Amino acid sequence: MKIVHYINQFFAGIGGEEAAGAGPELREGAVGPGKRLDALLGDEHQIVATAVCGDDHASGKPEFASALVEQAREAGAELLVAGPAFTSGRYGLACARIVSAAAEAGLPALAAMHADNPGLAEAAGAPVIESGATAREMRPSLERLAAATVKLAAGEELTAEDGRTGPVARTNRMADRSAAERAVALLLRRLGGDREATEIPLPNFDHVTPAAPIADPADALVALLTEGGFVPAGNPDRLESARASKWIRHSLEGRDSVEEGEFESVHGGFSTQWANADPNRILPLDVARELEREGAIGGLHAEYFATTGNGTTVADARRFGVEWAAELHQADIQAAILTAT
Amino acid sequence: MNERSKSGAEPETGLRRLVHDVSELALGDRTSFSQGRLTVSRSLASELPSDPALAEIRLSCVSPGESARIVGALDAVQPCTKGPGGAGVFPGFIGPALPPGRGETHVLRGAAVLAAGYLPRAQEAVIDMSGPVAALSPLGATHNLVIEFERASDAPWDEVEAAVRRAVLRVAVQVADAALDSEPDAVEELADPAATAPDGRARVGVVTNLQTQGKFKDVFVYGRSLSAGLPTVISPNELDDGAVVSGQYGHPALKNPTLLHQTHPVVAAVRESEELWLAALVLCPEPVEQGAKELVSAHAARLCASLHLDAAIVTKEGGGNADADVSLKMDRLEEEGIAAVGIFGEMAGRDGTGPSLVVPPSRATAMVSAGNYDERLSLPQCERALGRQEIALLDRPATDELELPAAAIYCALNPLGWGGLTCHEEAA
Repeated sequence: MKIVHYINQFFAGIGGEEAAGAGPELREGAVGPGKRLDALLGDEHQIVATAVCGDDHASGKPEFASALVEQAREAGAELLVAGPAFTSGRYGLACARIVSAAAEAGLPALAAMHADNPGLAEAAGAPVIESGATAREMRPSLERLAAATVKLAAGEELTAEDGRTGPVARTNRMADRSAAERAVALLLRRLGGDREATEIPLPNFDHVTPAAPIADPADALVALLTEGGFVPAGNPDRLESARASKWIRHSLEGRDSVEEGEFESVHGGFSTQWANADPNRILPLDVARELEREGAIGGLHAEYFATTGNGTTVADARRFGVEWAAELHQADIQAAILTAT
Repeated sequence: MNERSKSGAEPETGLRRLVHDVSELALGDRTSFSQGRLTVSRSLASELPSDPALAEIRLSCVSPGESARIVGALDAVQPCTKGPGGAGVFPGFIGPALPPGRGETHVLRGAAVLAAGYLPRAQEAVIDMSGPVAALSPLGATHNLVIEFERASDAPWDEVEAAVRRAVLRVAVQVADAALDSEPDAVEELADPAATAPDGRARVGVVTNLQTQGKFKDVFVYGRSLSAGLPTVISPNELDDGAVVSGQYGHPALKNPTLLHQTHPVVAAVRESEELWLAALVLCPEPVEQGAKELVSAHAARLCASLHLDAAIVTKEGGGNADADVSLKMDRLEEEGIAAVGIFGEMAGRDGTGPSLVVPPSRATAMVSAGNYDERLSLPQCERALGRQEIALLDRPATDELELPAAAIYCALNPLGWGGLTCHEEAA
């Protein structure tokens, strides 16, 4: 079977962060880790081409995926495999987007990444095989991915035994009793000594390791970000007040502060009265400009990013985070102040 | 106790609920109730005391099975009265601010008075009166007297909100008054919580968190916000008489309207149980600040311990940070040796694969799921819209076929336990 393999700019040998803006391209044959994957796939399967895209480009321009899938089909691809992306967020998101675009185009596809990768939630039902956490675990990760690829190529369903990972979906259904009646039944079990009974298993939260402090803020370009539902007056982008599905960006150029009547908060989770009386309370542009003038920081990013953190799904929030990080990388920003409300 | 024994009279405790079932609702020449048919005077709105914050109030009726949608549903109230003019119901608003919950109360079961329209910070709440989503809202099964309103020009919005609340409560009392002379369909005796449970039953407390997060997100006890206060114990029978009134308009699906405080589903379920004894209702504020959440939770658990409770069911209002108020209380209760169960709405994302809870308990484990807030629902086209004529969330006519999250459906995941929604797991 003819297979196209997706990897990022780093594994394609183009470069690290400095090359993360590289656009999509298709190269002939196997490249980088694809060579070992190709060998592991055996004689019946062959990596005919390698699709490559820079992580920042893939995070900021999701349409890279459908473009590459089309090129892969033109190159004769009968199956698409992406990764392994380990725990790398932007790379994982890119792998998820390309397998999801392939599946949508009717091309069988699978990706490999760690279960904590934010991309996992974006795979839209395409199979994801668990990889190690870092490239140190490249070898076992590729072995598992190769075995799963062979199985998928044979038209078989991938399961947890193949290393298939992915969130379990909690789906609504109607119970035959009300939540209040079930609470009474659960309380009776609890009083009977059953300490395990529950309708909601405890969720696993992932942990974020903070980035190292910047060496000297006086050299750093700093961005202002907020989840405070911060919009130009009248909310021209219709940013949601709750359950945000998107984020917005607006220019701060030529402004020393954000003034009442020009900006406002549409956040639905708190009283916005004081925020709207002085919008700098949500986006502290006034003091940031002072710091810029004093030379305490190197400069301010020309635009701010905002979403609404109110009932926002974790999957959407993680995606916004990955996209913001890619945008800030592209703009060569070293630090960001994200005001939370 | 001493005073009572001196007087020799039996203390009058407990509440007798006189239930009038409403099976039909219409506007007519005068307000009356007969044989299950509630008729509301067309001129009732204009006869209400005028309020400087409101330019106009309109009344309309909508019943289960109609091809109709209520958009921007605000608070809903079950009509009730203890005598002409209410005689003590809705204390602090209609009656004097004194504890009710004794004597007799007439209730119009199967009817609701609700306001619908725009208020700031009110998230758009939707009720379908027919179709697949009707069963997800308690108001999808009641005969609803809908109050629409116009703000007086330049009236401050908080005054508009207070005026709308007064109108809803006044109308709820006036229509209930029409049933004062009717023979009730059922008479229900509600005992006051006694000091000792019969037959060695477990003494259970219902710990109910009231969202207290400022204007348009507040709940009132005897007409006062509980926001700056500590947990307090009242008789569950006071709920029937409207001791707790909602002014909270966020999180439509996770909202507790006055009607569901009056008919508190957990209180009702514990009363129904033959193995449990309803010993106390503990009302708690739901503050925004973490330190205050910890204080309120620890204090509520101590109150429950001092009431010698064996177990408690904890409920909340709202999403996100309100999870912490349930989780902290469950943990503190378990530390006091009181078995705790909490009711949560899940926020697991559109496809149900995200973490369900914002703040899970660390010690307690017994949780009931009221469903996933983010799951999408399809609402069919309908003929008539009340409240608002467009869905601002989608920028579409309110009568269109719509796709909305469960989060937008009024009380779909009601944290007082009204609904049947829950979650089950399947591979994504």
